[in-house]
Amino acid sequence: MDIRRAVVVLGLVVFAALWMAPASRAQGASADTEGKDSGNYNIQQSIEFGYRWTGINGNIDTYDTFVNLGSGVRLFDYTLDMRSLNHQGIFFDNLNFSNFGYGGDPNDVSRLHIDKNKWYDFQMVFRRDKNFWDYNLFANPLNPAALNPAGSATTGCIVSPPSSANPGLPGFCSNPANAAVNSPHGLDLVRRMQDYDLTLLPQSRVRFRLGFSHDRNEGPGLFTTDSGTIPDFPQSYSYTTNAYRAGVDFRILPRTTISYDQFLNYFKQDNTLLETPVATPGQYGYQLANGTPVDMGIIWSSQTPAEALPCAAPISNGTTAPPTVNANCNGFLRYSQVGRPRNFMPSERLRFQSNYFEKFEMSGSLGYSNSDNLIPDYNEIINGYTTRSAVRESTTGGPVKTTRVSVNADWSGSYAVTDKLRVEDFFRYDNWRIPGLWATYETNLVGAAASGQVGLALPLSLFTESSPSAGTPFATLCPAAPYNQAGCPLHTSSSGADVTNELSYQFLGQNLKSNTLQFQYDFNNRWSARIGYLYTNRAISQFSAVFDTGETYFPGGATANAGNLYLAARGDCALVAGALPAACAQNADGSVTEGSAANPVAEAGNDTARNVTTINENSLLLGFTGRPVDQLRLLGDFSFGSNDASFTRIDPRQVQSYKLHATYTPKPWATIDGAVEIHENRDDAYQVANLEHDRMYSFTTMLMPSPRLAVSFGYNYWDVYTQADICFNYSITYTNPAPPPNTLPVSTSPPGVATTACPISGASVGAAGLGALSTYASTDHFAHADVMWKPIKRVTADLGYGGSFVRGNTIFLNPLMPSGTLDYNYQMPYGSVTIDLSKGFSYKMAWNYYGFNQAGNTSPFGLAAIPLQDFNGSNATFSFRYAF
Amino acid sequence: MKQRFFAILLMALVGLLFSGPAARANQDAAKDSAPQAASSASDTKAGGYVGSEACKGCHVEEYKSWENSPHWKTSLNTRDGAAHQGCEACHGPGASHIADPTDASKLFLFEKASAKDVTKQCLTCHAGGKEHMNALNSVHTENGVSCTSCHSPHHATTKEFLLLKSQPELCYTCHLAKKAEFAMPFHHRVNEGLIQCSDCHNVHGTVGPKQVRTASTQDATCFKCHIDKQGPFVYEHAPIKTDGCQSCHLVHGGPNAHMLKVSNVNLLCLQCHTTSSFSSAPGAPSFHNQASFFQSCVLCHSSIHGSNFNSFFFK
Repeated sequence: MDIRRAVVVLGLVVFAALWMAPASRAQGASADTEGKDSGNYNIQQSIEFGYRWTGINGNIDTYDTFVNLGSGVRLFDYTLDMRSLNHQGIFFDNLNFSNFGYGGDPNDVSRLHIDKNKWYDFQMVFRRDKNFWDYNLFANPLNPAALNPAGSATTGCIVSPPSSANPGLPGFCSNPANAAVNSPHGLDLVRRMQDYDLTLLPQSRVRFRLGFSHDRNEGPGLFTTDSGTIPDFPQSYSYTTNAYRAGVDFRILPRTTISYDQFLNYFKQDNTLLETPVATPGQYGYQLANGTPVDMGIIWSSQTPAEALPCAAPISNGTTAPPTVNANCNGFLRYSQVGRPRNFMPSERLRFQSNYFEKFEMSGSLGYSNSDNLIPDYNEIINGYTTRSAVRESTTGGPVKTTRVSVNADWSGSYAVTDKLRVEDFFRYDNWRIPGLWATYETNLVGAAASGQVGLALPLSLFTESSPSAGTPFATLCPAAPYNQAGCPLHTSSSGADVTNELSYQFLGQNLKSNTLQFQYDFNNRWSARIGYLYTNRAISQFSAVFDTGETYFPGGATANAGNLYLAARGDCALVAGALPAACAQNADGSVTEGSAANPVAEAGNDTARNVTTINENSLLLGFTGRPVDQLRLLGDFSFGSNDASFTRIDPRQVQSYKLHATYTPKPWATIDGAVEIHENRDDAYQVANLEHDRMYSFTTMLMPSPRLAVSFGYNYWDVYTQADICFNYSITYTNPAPPPNTLPVSTSPPGVATTACPISGASVGAAGLGALSTYASTDHFAHADVMWKPIKRVTADLGYGGSFVRGNTIFLNPLMPSGTLDYNYQMPYGSVTIDLSKGFSYKMAWNYYGFNQAGNTSPFGLAAIPLQDFNGSNATFSFRYAF
Repeated sequence: MKQRFFAILLMALVGLLFSGPAARANQDAAKDSAPQAASSASDTKAGGYVGSEACKGCHVEEYKSWENSPHWKTSLNTRDGAAHQGCEACHGPGASHIADPTDASKLFLFEKASAKDVTKQCLTCHAGGKEHMNALNSVHTENGVSCTSCHSPHHATTKEFLLLKSQPELCYTCHLAKKAEFAMPFHHRVNEGLIQCSDCHNVHGTVGPKQVRTASTQDATCFKCHIDKQGPFVYEHAPIKTDGCQSCHLVHGGPNAHMLKVSNVNLLCLQCHTTSSFSSAPGAPSFHNQASFFQSCVLCHSSIHGSNFNSFFFK
C-alpha cells in the first residue's frame, strides 16, 4: 500500500513538474540565450556540471581499459564565446573557449581560439588522456594446466573435459599452476598534450606562423623481456616531446602562395626499469633458502620437458611465507635498465600553391628532415640466474647513434582542357634512410666454483679483465689449468663471452616515386566520371652487420678440459678441427680473445650486402559522382592494383577497392544513406596464399519531421578475413601417468587444425615443422539508434543504443589458448531527460549502460583460471547547465 | 634537332607565363564590364557590385548570420576591392539581381552549383591557407564533396569553422562504417572528444593516400602522439616504416586488443615470419614451440616497434 502511495505521489510530482515547466516558459525562458552585450562584445557562456555515479559489476580492469568513467563531481562542459559587436575589438574580435571532462574523467580537453582580423589568429588545445590498460588476455602467457591430484578420476594434466569417450587432451602443466591474472603489459599512463599556434598578420601578403607543442606521456607500466624466464618488470614511462615551428607565407604573386616552414622537434625518453626488494617488494613472490627475495617470472610451465620454466621443480618448500624456491632455477634478484634517448628532429618544408593561370592550377612541396637519435648512457644490469648460459649477472651498455634522413617532394597539376574535361597529374617522391650504430659493451659474470651453492645462490666470480688494474686479475683468482679451483668461474659450453665489445651497424631505407595521371569529365551538372592510372615504384634496402671489437672468453667450468681449451674455446671461438678460429687468440691467463678495436672481426652470418626489394605497382583508378534527381546522390570510387613484388608476405600483390555510397533525401527532413566498402588484398604467391578482405555494408536513416522529434537509426555489417600459409613448430612430449585412464592421445599437431609437414624447404622451423593455413575471420553486426523527443517545450528526452556483436573464428595452434576477443557483445544503451528550469538554466538526468560480455571461453577446462573479462553496469549522471 | 626542341619548349613556356596573367587580366576585365553594363542601379559600384547593405533589405536572416560570422571580416578587405567584400565576395555582383529580384541567375548560388564550382569559389579566398595547400589533391573534391557539404556559412551549428555539425558526427554522415569502427571496445578516443578526425586527416587534401596528414618530421601521422614508436631505431621493424602501422593495426578501431588485425598475436607474426624465398622477414625458429608457452610473441619481443639495444626487439 505504501509503495502504491509512493508511486502515486511520484507521479503527481512528475506531472506537476511537467506542467510547471510550460508555465514558466510563458515567462519567456529558454535554454538558448543570445548572450549579453558588454562593452563592444557579445558574450555567451554555458556551464554544465554535476555528479556521475558509476555502478559496474564484473571486471573493473576491463571496464577501465575500455571506458574508465568513474564516480564524482565533474565539469561536463564550459564554453565562453565573445564576439566583437563591430568586429574591431581592442585585443581581439572573436574568442572561443571550450572545455570538458575536468574533475576526474579520463579525457579532459580545453580549446581556445582567439583572433583579431588583420593582426593575429591564435589557437590552443590542451588535452589530457588517462590511458589505463589491463585487458588480461593480451600478451598473457598460457594460464597453465594444473596437475590433477593423485587418485582423482584423471591424473596428470588434462585440458578438456574427460569422459568415457574423450579422456581429455594432455597439456603442459605446472606445479604450482600460477595463472597471470593481469595483462603483463599493463599501463596506467597519463598523456598531456598542448598545442599552440599563432598566425600573425593573417590577411596580409606576408604572414607569419609560430607554433609550439608539448606532449608528455608518463606513468607506471609493466614490461616483459626474455632472459631465462619471462619477467614482468615494473617500468616507469616518461616520454616528452617539445616541438617548435615557424613559418612564413608569401602571397606576393597573384593567386599564388609560397610557404616556408621550419620544425624543430625534441624528443626525450626517460624510462626506467627498476626491480629491487626495497623499491618493488611486490614483485617478489618467492625467496631462497637464505631468505633472499626472488622474482621467478610470470610463465610457469614446470612439467614441460625441455622447456621447464622457471625450472622443473621450482618450489622446494611451500610451507614458508613466501614459498622457498629451488636456487637452481631461472630467476631474478635485481634488475635495472636506464637509457635516455634524445632525439633532435629538425625539418623544413617549402610549399607552393598557385592558380595563377586561368586553367592551370598546381601545388607542390619540397621537404627535408634529419633526425638524430643519441643515447649516450644506456645501462642494463641483471642480477639473477639463467640456467642455459649459467650467467649470474650481466651488465650491458654502449652509446647509440641513429639518424633518419628524409627528402620528399610532390607536385600536383590540374589543367582544364575544356569546361568539362580536366587532366590531373600528381607526382610524389619520398626518400628516407635510417643508418644506425650501437657500440655495445657487455660483461657477463658467472658463479664462482666450489662455493657449495648453486644457481641463484652462487656468489659472483669477480675479476678484472686485464692487469695491471685495480681489483683481482683473472690469473690471481683462477691461476692455472684446468681452471676448476675454488673461485674459478663456472661457465658452461652455452655461456657467451665474458666481455663483449661490438659495433652493430644497421640500415633501412626506402625510395618511393609515384605518379598518378587522371582524366575527369563532367557530362553535365549531374554526372561526373574519372579514370586514372597510378604507378608507384618502391625500392627498399636494408643491411645488417656486426663487428667484434674485442670479445673475451675466460676459462673455467665444470666441463672444462684441454679439449675445449679448459672451456675458453666456446661461442665464436669454439675449436674448429681442434684449433681456434683464425680470428681468435689465446692470452697468457688462458682466456681467448676475438678481434680488437684496431682489428674488428665480422660476425658470422653478417648480412652486409645491401638487400634491395623493388616493387612496381600499377593501378587503374575509376570513379563517378551522380545526382540523377535532386534527392539522390551517388558516388563510386574503385581501384584495381597489381604489384610485381611484395616486401612482406602480407603485402598485397593484387589490390581491389570498391566504394559505393548513395544518399537519398526524399524530404528535407529525411535522409537515407547506404554504403558499401570492400577492400580485397591478395598475395597469392606460391606457399604464401595470403588473402585479406575487409568488407563493410552500412545504412543509416535520419528523420527530423519536426524540431521536437528526431530519429536516427542504422546498421553496419563488417566482415574481416585474413589467411596465409604458415609454418611453425609444434610438439608435445607427454608421459601418461598411471591409470585411469591408461591411454591418452598425444598430440602431434594442434587439435582441429589441418596440418601438413612444412612445405617450405629450408624453413627455419626445421624438419619437424608443421604447415597450416592460418585463418582469422571476424564479423561485426553494429546497430545504433537514437530518438530525440520534446514532448513539451521544456522537456527533451533522448534515448539511444549502440551495440557491437562480434563473432569470429581462427585456428588455435595451442589448445590452452583462450578465445579472447573472437566472440563478444558490447552494448551501450543510453537515455537522458533534460528539463529547462528557467531562462538558460536546465537540469539533465542521463543514464548510460555498458555491457561487455564474452561469448567465448576465457578459461578452458583444466587451466588455472583467470578472471572473466565481462563487465556490466550503469552510469547515472545528474547535471545542471546554465547558459548566460 | 634536340636544341631546336628545347628552344621551342622554352619559348612555349615563356609564352605561357606571359599569356597567363594577360589572359586572366583580360577575362577579369571582361567579367567586370559585363555586369556593369547590365546594372541599372544608381548606387552600383564598378563591376556591378552593390555592397552588402543592399542585400540586407531582403535577406535579413542571411545577413544577420553573415554579420555574426568570420566572413564579416571580408568587409574590411579594402585592398582587393568590392569583388572580395561582403555577400558579393561569395555570391558575385548583385546589381542585376537588384534590378530584377526575380532573376538570381547572375548570382553564384551554392545550392545550385556543382561541387567543383563551389570549391573553386571558396578557394578564391581560402586557397593557400595552411590547411588548403593541397586542395588540388582533395579526395573529397574529386568525389563530389564540396566545401558546403561540411561548412555552412549561414547555418553553421559550431562556433568555429562554420561546420554543419561538430566532429565526428559530421564525418559519420558520409563515412558510415567509421561509426562502427569507433564503437568497438578497442578504438581511438574520437567519440570521447579527445581527438578529432581532422587530427589525423586533412579533409581539404593531402599528398598521401586517404588524406592522411604527415607528421612535421615527414613521417606517419601516428607518430605525432605515438612518438616513442617513431625512432629512428638502430634495429627497425622494417614494415612499420615501409608499410605503415596499418600493416598490423586497424587504425580507427577494431575487435581485437590494441586494434590488431587478428585476435592472436602469434598468428599475426607467423603470417610474415614464415620462411619465404622473397621475404626478408626471418622465419620463426624451431624452438618456438606453439604447443608450449609461446602464445604471445610480444612477451619476449616486447619492443616490437623498434629497439636500440636488441636485434630481436627484446628490450
